[in-house]
Amino acid sequence: MAKVVIMGGGVSGHTAATFAKKWLGNDHEVIVVTPNSNWNWIPSNIWVGVGQMTKEEVVFPLAPVYKKAGIDFKQALAVSIHPDGNADSDDSYITIEYTEEGKAGETEEVAYDYLINATGPKLNFDATPGLGNGEGQMGSHTVSVCTADHAVHANEELHKIFDKAKAGEKQKILVGTGHGMCTCQGAAFEYIFNIEHEAKAAGVRDNIEIKWISNESFLGDFGMGGLHMKVGGYVVSSKLFAESLFSERNVPWLIGAHVSKVEEGKAHYELLDGTTGVEEFDFAMLIPPFSGVGLKAIAKDGSDVTSDMFLPNGFMKVDAKYDAGAYENWKASDWPRTYQNPDHDNIFAAGIAFAPPHLISKPASSVNGTPINPTPPRTGMPAGIIGKAVAHSVCDLIKDSNAKLHEASMAEMGAACVASAGKGLTTGTAAAMTVYPVVPDFETYPGTGRDTDYTFGEIGLAGHWIKHILHHLFIYKAKLKPGWTLIPE
Amino acid sequence: MIQQIKYYPDSSININAGPIRSFKESYSDMLRDIIDTMKEHNLDALSAIQIGYPYQLMVIKENEEYCAYANPRIITQNKPFDSTEESIYFKNHAITVKRYEELSIIYDDKNGDMKTKKIDNKEEAATFQRKLDYLFNGTLLDRLNPNQKEQAIKALAGKGIMPDKTDDYCPTFSKKEYFVSVTDKLLFFMFVSLILPLFGVEKSTLESWYTYDKFAFPAVILIMIGFFFYAQYEAKKYKQCTSCQIGNNIGVMVKRITVGVVFAVASYFILG
Repeated sequence: MAKVVIMGGGVSGHTAATFAKKWLGNDHEVIVVTPNSNWNWIPSNIWVGVGQMTKEEVVFPLAPVYKKAGIDFKQALAVSIHPDGNADSDDSYITIEYTEEGKAGETEEVAYDYLINATGPKLNFDATPGLGNGEGQMGSHTVSVCTADHAVHANEELHKIFDKAKAGEKQKILVGTGHGMCTCQGAAFEYIFNIEHEAKAAGVRDNIEIKWISNESFLGDFGMGGLHMKVGGYVVSSKLFAESLFSERNVPWLIGAHVSKVEEGKAHYELLDGTTGVEEFDFAMLIPPFSGVGLKAIAKDGSDVTSDMFLPNGFMKVDAKYDAGAYENWKASDWPRTYQNPDHDNIFAAGIAFAPPHLISKPASSVNGTPINPTPPRTGMPAGIIGKAVAHSVCDLIKDSNAKLHEASMAEMGAACVASAGKGLTTGTAAAMTVYPVVPDFETYPGTGRDTDYTFGEIGLAGHWIKHILHHLFIYKAKLKPGWTLIPE
Repeated sequence: MIQQIKYYPDSSININAGPIRSFKESYSDMLRDIIDTMKEHNLDALSAIQIGYPYQLMVIKENEEYCAYANPRIITQNKPFDSTEESIYFKNHAITVKRYEELSIIYDDKNGDMKTKKIDNKEEAATFQRKLDYLFNGTLLDRLNPNQKEQAIKALAGKGIMPDKTDDYCPTFSKKEYFVSVTDKLLFFMFVSLILPLFGVEKSTLESWYTYDKFAFPAVILIMIGFFFYAQYEAKKYKQCTSCQIGNNIGVMVKRITVGVVFAVASYFILG
């Protein structure tokens, strides 16, 4: 009986675990180690953050689902990986520390035959002074929608602002990225337009100034170097598309910005052109940068080999080309295909946990040398697809150690994204976009790097309905209800 | 080398230009072509995409010097104003759009090194923004609201910029669409006839609908055959017409005939 351990129970880890169990059946063991008791459909957190959904609508307990599926669930934090065992044994294992009530703080060694690292990111608030509390958690000056609990808090703070605006006080809201190296601009993009939508619905828009701040060098970059899409028969770039959205909704923007420090009511920033400034706010939602979760890798002799297994940013090395060099040398083929660790055939990384070879957007630094560019997005659909491909590889390897690994290169993968711009059965709006490939392939598609025939977008009420349907569909799938395998990632 | 400039309504200008990643020989060739074309047409500014290069490069003539801006970006913009602009793409037809007077920009120089620049002159700022729009597959029309855009398109047609009827370009609306429209309506009512029994409609009414189906089905076949021959006629008439390709026409015909057959068979079993 082989033992497959999956670290992380988010989109990628949950997908990998559930498919691995389905394909392996009861002949082999599947174990999920995740510090959270709940699964969270993160794309809907933005609706929790404006009070249009409750936390309960975007999360569900993992334990009953895993029990039903026959997956061993350990609510614990993965601490270290021992790929070659220790002095006493050659068996690979990880160490974990329980977070479950009643067992919190207890540690355990969990042996594995195959390990999938799908831990997701650490929300690195402390990378920006004042954005974090100095202890790795979100600080008190801003809010976040990265977790369901953060979104609940964001909604409470937002409605205090709305109350003040109703009382006639002028308020200022700042939304965007809290560091020059952030990803996930899409979540902030959705949140700012949902705030704008709710402010209008509450009749307080006139008293609220809403401003966007981000590390993108142009609006609509989204960490993917932008995209071009067919909108109503016309081909429109995401830049013009986003600028139109912001202008129509009277939301000014500040781009190419690295938020260098946050204080009460103030965000200090540096722009790509080298200028610095301060943006004042009454309410700010600034996405933190991501890093690896801080897993250690320990050799058989007890020495720390973390730097061999992980890049300095904490993400795990896989079959990517990490020495591609300058921007002009970057190729689609640099991106990983199998997500297998180069030194350990039985270790894979999926979703945000794998280390990308380089940025997708054009790299940029301010004239002062501060890097200001979005890091590659690996959430949502790509995370699910990669998780499934990795699970497939592991299952095949268990059955045949020479099996060919499954591939899911982001340079050959399309992705769909539905970005909400306001919730409501008849008043909702969302921009539905598809992009192919996620990572531009400048050799196959010279100039743009993408195929226009498969890259399109549309904005409107139908997009909102799609987003709402997807919310229910993906939670249904994650709960492993009948027919869940038919729903795509 | 002087290159051919694209004019409205050539939609190939609507390609998103990719970033310039290498500043070697091909970059120099492209830059030379842009400058040669500008000199030939006595232009003050030109984007690479206007002569068919899908790359983020623009050249602006400043004090008799041709200044290249690769991978340009506007970082900050202030002081909006209404700018009445002309562009060679629209054969100098004037359109008024919203622009910003003060810009802080970044761009790469010929060595690929990032540079910054402040622009605080209305004309220079408007030119920069107009050329930048081309690099993100936008034209002056994309800066207008839908009503203004519609009016501008009408005005452009009146100026004779749209191709003449004798041109090789395919028309924006083809008469073959009438064939498709009629067929779709016939098929729609055939579909309606199939779901009527679900609503407890009287037997005599169902018989009438079945009679309709018996005429509608052959009509669909005949109209689609007519569509195919007319579409082939158009394909010969307009040389530059991607929607006129025989594959597209066969696809349209087969799809509707298949649906017609399915509906006719279903009608036979449900209503017949």
